[in-house]
Amino acid sequence: MAKREKGKYAAPKRKFDKVYFKRYWQLYAFLVLPLLYLLIFKYFPMQYIIVAFKEFKLNMSVWKMPWAYYKTGPVLQTDALKYFKTAFGNVDFRRALVNTVRLNLLDLIAGFPAPIIFALILNELRFKKFKKVVQTIAYMPHFLSWVIIASLCTQLLATEDGFVNAIIAACGGNKINFLGNPVNWIITYVGAGVWQSFGWGSIIYLASIAGINTELYEAASVDGAGRFKKMWHITLPGIKPTIVVLLIMNLGYIMGGGFERPYAMKNNLVTEVANVISTFVYKVGLQDLKISLTTAVGLFQSVVGLFFLLTANAISRKLGERGIW
Amino acid sequence: MKKKLLSAVLAAVMILSVTACGKGKTAKIEGMKDGKFIQTRHITVELYDRNVDGGTEAGNNAWTKWVQQQMLDKYNIDVQYKTVARWTEKDDINNLLAAQTAPDICYTYDYPTIQTYAEMGGVHDLAPYLEKYKSLMPNMFAWLGDSLIYQDQDPATKTLWAIEGKRNETCRINTFVRKDWLDKLGLKEPTTVDEFESMLVAFRDNASTLLGADASKMVPFSISFDVGWRAANLIESFMDPAITDKELYVRGFDDRKFTQNGTKEAVKILNKWYNDGLIWKDFALYSEGDSTEDDMIKAGFVGAFMHNYDYPFRNAKDSINATLAAQYGKDAKFVAVNCFKDKNGKYTKYRYSEGGDRKVFFPKTNKEVEASLMYLEFMSDPATVEYLQIGDEGVIHHVDAATGAIVIDKPDDAHHDWFQNSGKNIDMTINCNGLRLKDANLTTLSLAYSYSDVDPADVKQAIEAAMLDARAPKTPTVGDIAAETQGTDLKGKRDQGFDKAVTASVADFDSVWDAAMKEYLNAGGQAIIDERTAAWEAAYGKETMLK
Repeated sequence: MAKREKGKYAAPKRKFDKVYFKRYWQLYAFLVLPLLYLLIFKYFPMQYIIVAFKEFKLNMSVWKMPWAYYKTGPVLQTDALKYFKTAFGNVDFRRALVNTVRLNLLDLIAGFPAPIIFALILNELRFKKFKKVVQTIAYMPHFLSWVIIASLCTQLLATEDGFVNAIIAACGGNKINFLGNPVNWIITYVGAGVWQSFGWGSIIYLASIAGINTELYEAASVDGAGRFKKMWHITLPGIKPTIVVLLIMNLGYIMGGGFERPYAMKNNLVTEVANVISTFVYKVGLQDLKISLTTAVGLFQSVVGLFFLLTANAISRKLGERGIW
Repeated sequence: MKKKLLSAVLAAVMILSVTACGKGKTAKIEGMKDGKFIQTRHITVELYDRNVDGGTEAGNNAWTKWVQQQMLDKYNIDVQYKTVARWTEKDDINNLLAAQTAPDICYTYDYPTIQTYAEMGGVHDLAPYLEKYKSLMPNMFAWLGDSLIYQDQDPATKTLWAIEGKRNETCRINTFVRKDWLDKLGLKEPTTVDEFESMLVAFRDNASTLLGADASKMVPFSISFDVGWRAANLIESFMDPAITDKELYVRGFDDRKFTQNGTKEAVKILNKWYNDGLIWKDFALYSEGDSTEDDMIKAGFVGAFMHNYDYPFRNAKDSINATLAAQYGKDAKFVAVNCFKDKNGKYTKYRYSEGGDRKVFFPKTNKEVEASLMYLEFMSDPATVEYLQIGDEGVIHHVDAATGAIVIDKPDDAHHDWFQNSGKNIDMTINCNGLRLKDANLTTLSLAYSYSDVDPADVKQAIEAAMLDARAPKTPTVGDIAAETQGTDLKGKRDQGFDKAVTASVADFDSVWDAAMKEYLNAGGQAIIDERTAAWEAAYGKETMLK
């Protein structure tokens, strides 16, 4: 494997330049606010991770709470890992774990290529006005909240009076239970996700396509390359770094994922496939107030997420691409 | 001699005055003079928000202002309301409690929520306060009585986390059918489950007669995701009428009767109906607080349903019956029927007991326990409750000329701010659920008249139907059951179990039901049953019935 050439990708190392800093310190000052934000809202709260190993009490500071214990009669047996053991012994958590990975993986498979393909298609369009209209329409769903999309889905896909099923019935077909059958529900869920995000997701690829040197296309045309050849040999390699970076970031989310979407879309008939870690944490942690248990779950989730991110980054570097750091 | 007499008299006077002091010494709240705080105290109070169509802002209307003024005049207490969505009250109050921003006075229907917070040290123990200030709260003690006030007290530790509210109306659930549809098809009101089923079949098969162009929207029988509530009359008729108080208690930790013996057979009937196209296909897709089903009922597409005993009468002009009458003429209405007999041929059903309604508790963030208790006292005053329920004559009630009954009306536009966002302001009368006038006889007389824009005769019939063969579950005093706070999402699993079983194919019903029950019991249901059994046996021994 070829060694990475020093300085080719990373910024060249420089000594601290006093003159430079003096001249541009205002620019650096701009960084203070975002850094403060990270410190206060991302790093400072991390100390409460310790709740995962303790018995949560409302009337005590985090540091004074006792370490997690099992209580058998009057005897207390301390076991800081109690809540991790409880979580893995809990069927709901195990299901949520599987569902999180499954739904995110399907999202990745169906949802990741969609904006790339869409960007490629848009790029080939000749009529500028038509292109603009298509683009705008495709962006719109991104601005809808999941609550609205979920009720749209119900309105359109319900069995009794849903629009789609009404059409199917009118054409003489059998009504499809889009939302009540687990497999159909997953398809609906993934489909809604693709619909909501492919337009918005294509922006970054379009920008990156715009950055490709047009001379390359001209040269290819001279050599007799058709549209598909140009797409394959120029456009795609041109946006490859962008694709890789986004793929890494998406892999980092494989254990995470939002709360709104599964929560708004699930219903009582499909909870077994629809409950994910975030909804589990909400239901069990906030509503049933098992704070320690869900902190343990959250910690586990973050650690696995971090692992995915690091692995993806390492792989991409080995493949000769620039990682995200 | 004189001196001696004088000193003796003086001594006697002194002793008397001392004892008089001792006897007359009443509880005193610090900072309070003549029953009024010297410095204004500030408390926040939870209030449900039902987001009623055409209603007023839940925490800011003529009623809340009236209470605020009264509290200020009477006790020098400044009351602020904090609203919480009614249909997600448990979740919302949980979020507030977790964030330590809950109101000073909270109420919820869900005792385990309070218990969970209490175990974490987040709730005030009310027992010492009540002991100290009992004499300052005559109205509350008179209204609730020791039995309700101390119902949740732990027999061992004597802690008291919450005070139970009281129901003054104990009707619970009725079965309603569209009277005009029955008439149109020449059917009689059903009196057995078989007749009920053939009625549903008739509705289904005559959809075009009944609904014309909308025939495809016909729903003979509608239920919601909450099957245990919305099929309660059917489910309860399958329970053993000879059930012991012990069994009812042990398996009765949620009032949907999921784990009671007999429920499976009842749900099997629902499953058959569902597969025969008699039940609304999409009932499980909509969650708590969704109005889709109500809209269907009001639009006139639904033939029968089970719900709160007064459901079609609620909300005056927007009530189900008033809406139907406005669209299809006054014959179009739902009437209550009894058609689910137990094995002895009685219409056994469970009504509410007086207790078990909302429970009031003070989170530890409450720094004004005394002032908060005064609020409860104010809310227990019969005059307060009467005013909140019926208001001023001519504004929201009038007196029926023939019977003398109080008839509650919807306020006109000029008095719109006096609109009651909850029936009889039940959400404001924090420890009273149901009509409670100062005059008990007038209360009984007025019950059927407390719904405007509907026929009082229908209400009367519904009350009678709901009380026929109805029994009230008894509440034993056995203390807190720890397992009740430890299950994972039991209510969710119960509803999912019901929903999956109803929507399963007939062939799969048994396996779906059994799997759901197993899941429920494993998630903590069995632990509750076991602990309740043990707690009962510890308190009552071999006795299986309560006195």
